Amino acid sequence: MSTNQAPLFSATAIAKNFGGVQALRGVDFDVVSGEIHALLGQNGAGKSTLVKILNGVHPAGSYTGTIQLDGQPVSFASPADARSNGVGYVPQEIEVLEQLSVAENVFAGRTGLGDGVLVHQRKLEQRAAEIFADLGIDIDPRAYVASLPSAQRHLVMIARAIVMKPRVLMLDEPTASLSGTEVDALFAVLRRLKAQGVAMIYITHRLPEVLAICDRATVLRDGQVAVRIAREDFDAETFIFSMSGQRLQRLFPEHAAPVGTPTALEVRRLSVDGHGGAVHGARDINLSVAAGEIVGLAGLLGSGRSEILHGIYGRVLSEGEIHVGGKEVSIKSPADARAAGIALLTEDRKRDGLLFNLPVGANITIGNLAPLSRRGVVRGGLERNAIVAAMRALNVKASSPRASVTHLSGGNQQKLLFARVLMRAPKVLLLDEPTKGVDAATRHEIYRLVVELADKGVSLLIVASELEELIGLCDRCLVVADGRIVDEFGRGEGGEDRVLRSVTAAQAERQAQVSA
Amino acid sequence: MNSAAEVSSPRRGTQSFRRRLIGLIAVGEVGVLAAMALLIAFFWLLEPAFLSERNIRAILNVVSFVGIIAIGQTILLVAGEFDLSVGSVAGLSAVVAAKLMTAAALPVTVGILGGIGVGALIGLLNGLIVVRLGIPAFIQTLGMLFIGQGLIQSVTGGYPVYPLPEAINTIGGTDLAFGLGWSFAFFIIAAVAADFVLRRTVLGRNIYATGGNKEVAHLVGINTNACKIGAFITVGALSAIAGMFVMADLGSGGTSIGSGWELTVIAGVVVGGVSLFGGAGTVAGGVVGILMLKVVQSGLVVIGVNSNWQQIAVGVIMVMAVGLDIVRRRYFIAGA
Ligand SMILES: Nc1ncnc2c1ncn2[C@@H]1O[C@H](COP(=O)(O)OP(=O)(O)OP(=O)(O)O)[C@@H](O)[C@H]1O
Ligand SMILES: [Mg+2]
Repeated sequence: MSTNQAPLFSATAIAKNFGGVQALRGVDFDVVSGEIHALLGQNGAGKSTLVKILNGVHPAGSYTGTIQLDGQPVSFASPADARSNGVGYVPQEIEVLEQLSVAENVFAGRTGLGDGVLVHQRKLEQRAAEIFADLGIDIDPRAYVASLPSAQRHLVMIARAIVMKPRVLMLDEPTASLSGTEVDALFAVLRRLKAQGVAMIYITHRLPEVLAICDRATVLRDGQVAVRIAREDFDAETFIFSMSGQRLQRLFPEHAAPVGTPTALEVRRLSVDGHGGAVHGARDINLSVAAGEIVGLAGLLGSGRSEILHGIYGRVLSEGEIHVGGKEVSIKSPADARAAGIALLTEDRKRDGLLFNLPVGANITIGNLAPLSRRGVVRGGLERNAIVAAMRALNVKASSPRASVTHLSGGNQQKLLFARVLMRAPKVLLLDEPTKGVDAATRHEIYRLVVELADKGVSLLIVASELEELIGLCDRCLVVADGRIVDEFGRGEGGEDRVLRSVTAAQAERQAQVSA
Repeated sequence: MNSAAEVSSPRRGTQSFRRRLIGLIAVGEVGVLAAMALLIAFFWLLEPAFLSERNIRAILNVVSFVGIIAIGQTILLVAGEFDLSVGSVAGLSAVVAAKLMTAAALPVTVGILGGIGVGALIGLLNGLIVVRLGIPAFIQTLGMLFIGQGLIQSVTGGYPVYPLPEAINTIGGTDLAFGLGWSFAFFIIAAVAADFVLRRTVLGRNIYATGGNKEVAHLVGINTNACKIGAFITVGALSAIAGMFVMADLGSGGTSIGSGWELTVIAGVVVGGVSLFGGAGTVAGGVVGILMLKVVQSGLVVIGVNSNWQQIAVGVIMVMAVGLDIVRRRYFIAGA
């Protein structure tokens, strides 16, 4: 990488203040053509704020500093403005038009696709299909976005940014909800764009990705550039140290599978219907989790992992038996599941997690108010103490319990949801992508938390797209493919390759059945 | 290290003051109250008779009727739905109650309970249809508005129900204080109770969650359908009560009771910062909003503005109030 090449896109002395919170304090940043520049930092360091400024989400005038494109000063009044200047952006949180089809979403905001104001539906779908094929993604362009799970919505957003053929592309945690194969497909696309000379800014908390694909890294810390690292000096430990100022001990905390503990959760012949689109459902699932055991569900996107969790939690209708603590329970709604001591951390914070009309504190206690109230009246003091304790336990960084959740950084939103789920001290905890969008240091806090909970006898069933994480954390992994459990192995009995092999074998077998 | 702390402390002082100020403005009711104070001063300067005892009483009296409905409508809006049939329900409940007391010659209490029952039943029906069948509240309650109007005509044959039992006239004629009667007392008590429920109870919090994001509320174990249906029933029952208070006030079961109230009520609570999108607003805000709307209407009458302009003023105020609310949210709460 020739770093003496003139930057294509650069920002100088960017500072941004949110009503008292100084999110950025004088950041210099640039990307050259054909470079993938990693932007790293802990939750709340200011990464998203920086790219939102570079992309016009925070319009010119709301920050100080200058932006240059091709050596010319530019100022963007809106994302559309940035887009027309060849600057594309994939936001961290999913922003899709729910009521439109996938193809319409991909081309949203584009004109000139039909005759005059009319849109050629067929043409849109064809073009979208081509792009998906390019991306190696299996999504029906005619499906309604409302029916897609969150990882696929994210892919739709990525496709939307890429069809613009941007010269500069900013990706804010694009892989947070993707699993291995989709990440590989995305990387292939990014490499291609790179060869075409596109300048890319890439935000992630997954350090192996930085090692794999990035040419340069800039680490933000408390709104300032802590360090810039050239590819030659890349090293996970350096990254973590410069982000958090802490040395990392062990990647995964030690945990031994419990021996002889009773079964806490047992699922027999569970079937969940898919609801069209890319959600295929799950069939005939048998699994059990002992008290204090950490079990992982590994598999590809859309394999039915989340559906299994949703079925157990009563979010979707399911058939089969669910036993908790040796007793069969009938779970028809989340309320039933909660009464049985089951809790679920959902995957999509924006859609299924946060209540944007309530402040941080009330977001934590919602659904958990029974012990904090007397005869239906919330006891303010008790609630406040519980909130403060929960925020401290999980290190949720917010200016106060009454702050709005909208402006918490992604990682802090995730921790807040963790706090909500843990407040009821569940016996069985279902975690769907628990470390999504969480920085390296916090990720370790979450791993430690998971192990601590398991040590206390909580049973955990985890879905995570990062196989390394799942295998490192779990006592036992179940491999899910096409809505069925196709393989099972304990800690140390297999790695990522084993998961991929069983998935491929299952798919091949299915193919054979179909053609037979 | 030390000196830095010293330097920053006075700044922190002003900042916390600023923050408190922002917090105060961010409370919806404060903005409306301030605006209302300005308007009152304005009308009073132009025409001192605006603050005459008689006029104040007239305003409060009208507010007590529509205000009772506004309480229910606020709860329903917070739960993420709304009801356009409140005026029809008020009228229908009034004439049904009147018929039960007169034509059916039933005791007054039975008549009143019958009236409330009609309101609650329509609320239940609205709620069930909206929640279970997924028909938008706009359509369902607009339909109910027409159905209610038709039922009023067919129950009464187009004639006001008259005369009513003496007990009803007594309820309507009682002067508790300052020329205000039972309807005002009920309005205040109901408003305080409802405000408390929304602000301080688990149920209230669950209603906010339901209106904020139904799916999330469902996932944390809240029975969102019950919240919504309950809110519909509450609006229905409160509309019925308001309608019967008007009936008592008039001394007859008039066929035009409640007509046109639905929009006044929604405009009023929206002026008071209750969000049409659900999950935001307070009963205090909704009530203050409707008070402000009535202050403007009355003020314009008192200073002698042509009645066409009164309507225009109401429209402008509502749009402005919502516009200001959006700006307020963006700049004060978002802090951007
Ligand atoms: N619109 C806003 N209003 C107020 N504060 C904001 C706003 N947007 C961001 N912030 C604050 O600015 C800081 C930086 O946030 P930002 O979202 O840029 O972090 P981030 O580095 O992207 O973190 P994450 O890894 O968690 O996504 C945080 O303290 C956040 O709370
Ligand atoms: Mg971010």
